[in-house]
Parts: sequence; C-alpha cells; structure tokens
Amino acid sequence: MTAALPWAGRADHHCFGCSPHNPTGLQLSFADSGDALSAEFCLDKRYESYPGVVHGGILGVICDETMGNLIVMRLGVPALTTSMRMRYVGVVRVGGRYRCVARADFKPELVHATAELLDFAGSVVGTATASYKPQRSEL
Amino acid sequence: MTLAVSTTVTEIVAAELGRAPESLRPDTDLRAVEGADSIKVLRMVAKIEQAYGIELEDDEIFGLTTIDQVVAVVDKAIAREQG
Repeated sequence: MTAALPWAGRADHHCFGCSPHNPTGLQLSFADSGDALSAEFCLDKRYESYPGVVHGGILGVICDETMGNLIVMRLGVPALTTSMRMRYVGVVRVGGRYRCVARADFKPELVHATAELLDFAGSVVGTATASYKPQRSEL
Repeated sequence: MTLAVSTTVTEIVAAELGRAPESLRPDTDLRAVEGADSIKVLRMVAKIEQAYGIELEDDEIFGLTTIDQVVAVVDKAIAREQG
C-alpha cells in the first residue's frame, strides 16, 4: 500500500528525498507493510559517483529518508536524525533497481531505526542504523 | 567466547558462502573458502551487526580470517554495547 506523508499535499513541500515537486530531488515514494516502510528506487547519472556507480552519500539520504518517514508515519510528528551510520556492502549501479526497507524500535525519548538496501534479487548491498529525536509538534 | 554467538556467526557465514555450517571449523581460513570475496565478507558483517544490534568497527573486521576471530570481535562489540 502506498503511504502518504502528512505534508504530501502542501505547496511548500520541497523535500530533497520525497517531494514530487522537487525536480532535483529523489522523489521517493513509500509503501507501508505494517512492520516496515520501503521505497523502491532507480537512480540516473545525476546521482553518480564513479562511472556507473551511485554516490554513497545519496544512499545515505535514501536510508535516512525511509527510516525518518517511517517514524513520521507512526508518531505523526517529525523526527530529527541525531546520528546515523552506514555500512556499504556492495556497489549500487546507476540504472539498477533497488529497494530500501526501514524498521524502527520506538523508545520514549529516542527512536532507533535500521534500514537495508536490497538489490532486485533481495541481496543486501548496504545497511544503516540511526537514532531519531521525535519533535513535540509539527514543524 | 559464547557458544551461542559462535553458532549464530557460523550459520551466517555458512549461509553467505553457500556452505553447510558443519563444514566450517572455528579455525577455517575464510579467505580460502571457494567463492568467498570481499562483498560476501561485508554482507556477513552486515548480517551479524543486524542479528546482534551492534556496530563493528572497520579496524576490527578487515583482517579477520577465521570464525573464531569473528566471534571474538562480536563478543567484544556486545560487551561494548552493554557498557
């Protein structure tokens, strides 16, 4: 099921990761499976590092975006990233189809989340762990 | 070194290398196992980190050659995590 974010209809929604109105952004969309939020992506050369290889920093954005939006959708308020760590396992190719799957462990103060980057065959090509501080109200 | 950690690590390593767990000994040189490469090693590390909710330092994992060594690093990281 495609998941709609709280600010999806706002004219000032210009998120680099998920706004459909940001032409330089990733324009990610999400699917909610109940225990996880996922985003499929296929990136072009605008996001390239070495020839044919997606930039690792962009993969960090995708993981952060998926984990962060999972928390937003569960708690109904924004959550700011306090720390994040990537483990890069394999190369992510320009033009390849991949999926990011995020899960979270909700604690009263900090939310600890994990994300996996998977290739089309389901093999892990990267993982992320991060902590988020939920905000008391909408930004 | 805990038996449970050793068993889990062996299962993860075996799955990534496409081997039966019982075919791997604690002192098996993983670099010599057919089909082993750096990506598979990193995938093992990622799965071990997920399984235990730990973060292994790159300085700890590069240079590991046996399951015994991996288990020792995991034990150390679990102890670090538990403070």
